[in-house]
Amino acid sequence: MDKRRLTYIALAAAGVLTLTGFLLAFFVATPAQTIATLSTGGGRLFGGVFVSHPIDFGQKIFYFHVPVAITSFAVFFFTAYFGARFLITRDPAYDVKARIAAEVTLIFVLLTMLTGDLWTRWAWGVWWVWEPRLTTYFILTLLVVAYFVLRASVDDDERRAVYAAVFGIIAFIDAPISFAITRLVPSELHPVVIGVPGGLDGTQLAAFLIAMFGMLAFGFVIYQLRWREERVKERIEALKSALED
Amino acid sequence: MTDATDTAVSAEGLTRVFGVRKALDCVDFALPVGGFLSIFGPNGAGKTTLLRALTTLQAPSSGTARVLGLDVVRDAVELRSHIGLISHNPLLYPDLSAEENLVFFSDMYGVEDVSGRVRDLLDAVELSHRRFDLVRTFSRGMLQRLSIARALLHRPEVLFLDEPYSGLDPHAMDILDSLIAQIRHEHTFVMVSHDLAKGLELCTHALILAKGKVARYDEKAYIDDTTFAAEYRSVVGLGVA
Amino acid sequence: MPSAPATAAKARPARKLSWRQFRAILRKDIVMELRTFEMLTSMGLYTLLTLAIYAIALSASGNGFDVRLIAAGLLWLAFIFTSMLGLNRSLVHEKDQGCLEALLLSPVDRPVIFFAKAVGNLIFLLIVQVFTVPLFFLMFLSSHAIGGQFWMIPLSLLVGAVGVAGVGTLLATISVNTRGRDFILAVLFVPLMYPLLLAAVGATSAGVLGGQSYVADFWRDMALAGGYDVIMLLAAYGLYEFVIGA
Repeated sequence: MDKRRLTYIALAAAGVLTLTGFLLAFFVATPAQTIATLSTGGGRLFGGVFVSHPIDFGQKIFYFHVPVAITSFAVFFFTAYFGARFLITRDPAYDVKARIAAEVTLIFVLLTMLTGDLWTRWAWGVWWVWEPRLTTYFILTLLVVAYFVLRASVDDDERRAVYAAVFGIIAFIDAPISFAITRLVPSELHPVVIGVPGGLDGTQLAAFLIAMFGMLAFGFVIYQLRWREERVKERIEALKSALED
Repeated sequence: MTDATDTAVSAEGLTRVFGVRKALDCVDFALPVGGFLSIFGPNGAGKTTLLRALTTLQAPSSGTARVLGLDVVRDAVELRSHIGLISHNPLLYPDLSAEENLVFFSDMYGVEDVSGRVRDLLDAVELSHRRFDLVRTFSRGMLQRLSIARALLHRPEVLFLDEPYSGLDPHAMDILDSLIAQIRHEHTFVMVSHDLAKGLELCTHALILAKGKVARYDEKAYIDDTTFAAEYRSVVGLGVA
Repeated sequence: MPSAPATAAKARPARKLSWRQFRAILRKDIVMELRTFEMLTSMGLYTLLTLAIYAIALSASGNGFDVRLIAAGLLWLAFIFTSMLGLNRSLVHEKDQGCLEALLLSPVDRPVIFFAKAVGNLIFLLIVQVFTVPLFFLMFLSSHAIGGQFWMIPLSLLVGAVGVAGVGTLLATISVNTRGRDFILAVLFVPLMYPLLLAAVGATSAGVLGGQSYVADFWRDMALAGGYDVIMLLAAYGLYEFVIGA
């Protein structure tokens, strides 16, 4: 019962926080400062990222894109973590937890791709750039999809769980390496802008952090609701097989 | 624990669960050294799982199993050098010759005097004349004989037989029978089979497995062939439903 | 303290046995391959087909196009697809007649199987590279001079191949037990290989193209590829026991 109440509180918090973040981002947060030294084409440095489009709308997506991206990575950690727990305990509940975490990761990774794409459209005027973060998230999407493709191709329950756990762990190890190497190996064809989030002023930081916690809460809520659904399903299955006996 | 020295294979509360599915449910038995245990059961009764648990390939969820006093989890590596498996699968590399296969598995088991041991075993299973031929070219019966030689390489004390008769023609069955008879007195056997007649003929102990549970475990002396068959059929009927 | 020498004495023959098992598996894989040439012919042929496709892809680029700009990428592309073909094969013959089970029933430490299989795969990948690289240069780069230094190319290919063989062996052991083996291997393999490929293509490219500060670029990319190798090989080694026992 306690978990259930926590889920509802988190759901309320997620709604309030993301809405507040949204409003703050558009109405309160100071627009990106123009950098005098980067005067070419009215470019701006925003959140450490160089933004060339003159319209300020592009920057607003920053407040959602980055929190979503961070959340996806945080949830992906749990896929690996529950996978490891499964390998140690062989308790199928951990396999279900890992799978749900991967589902939530997929949602957030896709959202990251979507918001990232909007960003590139507004900031650089193109739909897709092989920019380090977008590239990494593209690979991350492929990894999460691969996780589900793998699950679907194994018939035996336990073997499926073991393989999924192993792949979840190695994919989670691979993701930060992708991130690092994509940034460190510059491509000659597409000059990339490497930015570090930071350099936000008070109102920007507030909007960002509020949106951030809102997204994390959303991730948690989706996870909890899916987990409860799975538990109910499991109980139904158990009852069915009991009836068959 | 008093009879630990003369118990070859034993299980205590051996259970293997995954989720709601119980493949093995509290399996208990003890087989003395030199015994021949036949495990009967319909498909899906957990025979294969039991065999895989006893041969260290799948760790039990709870309970223990021992072979020659060695625990299947803690002493897995040592245990493996005391057991051999003869399966309906030949477990041989088709692109290696008979001799190369045996030499390979000798290396895996750390057998000493490899060439002598391999020669002796090829003689014993009457395959010396084909020792340089690829296993790919062997008939089903020859494969089975070579597979027995492979299982005996490291002089295991306990032999596991996994449906050894399935897929064999009557002639190959006779050869297998005589080979088992030859090595019968110096080994303990555990055989998984759904061939009731064959299993009962060979065994000293019989075990019926149904839905992962031991439906019956007894010494052969206490088993009447006809009632046993009826009992087995009722269990199989139960398992199918 | 009296137990210490006893365990040491026990550990030595165990290590000796592991070494013997390692050699046995490796020798068996090589003997079987030399007998059938299954992996090497299929990989070699696949390489030739890929090169033919490159010729088609580049046919409209005209004489002015400098192939060196994309040579490293093309080389790695051919290599990565052929290696998937080979990796699959290397586990399929273990699976065919239940041989893997026989292997697992022997008193062998699971990492020994991993290392033996990975080293075997590495050897086959290197053999294919030895064929592919000269052929590629002959067909596509004979009219161009190498901008960097030649030794950089084989060295970067070697470091890449180590990662491909190590992670590939783990993934092939997984995919061999799935429905649609080849497809599953590709789906798992390519995204996991992405960072290594990026670094390796960078390093190979530095060797082919040269240019400003290419030596520093080469070593940076080599360090990244090497780092990937170390981390991912450790992970694959640690996880292999679970995979092979499942």
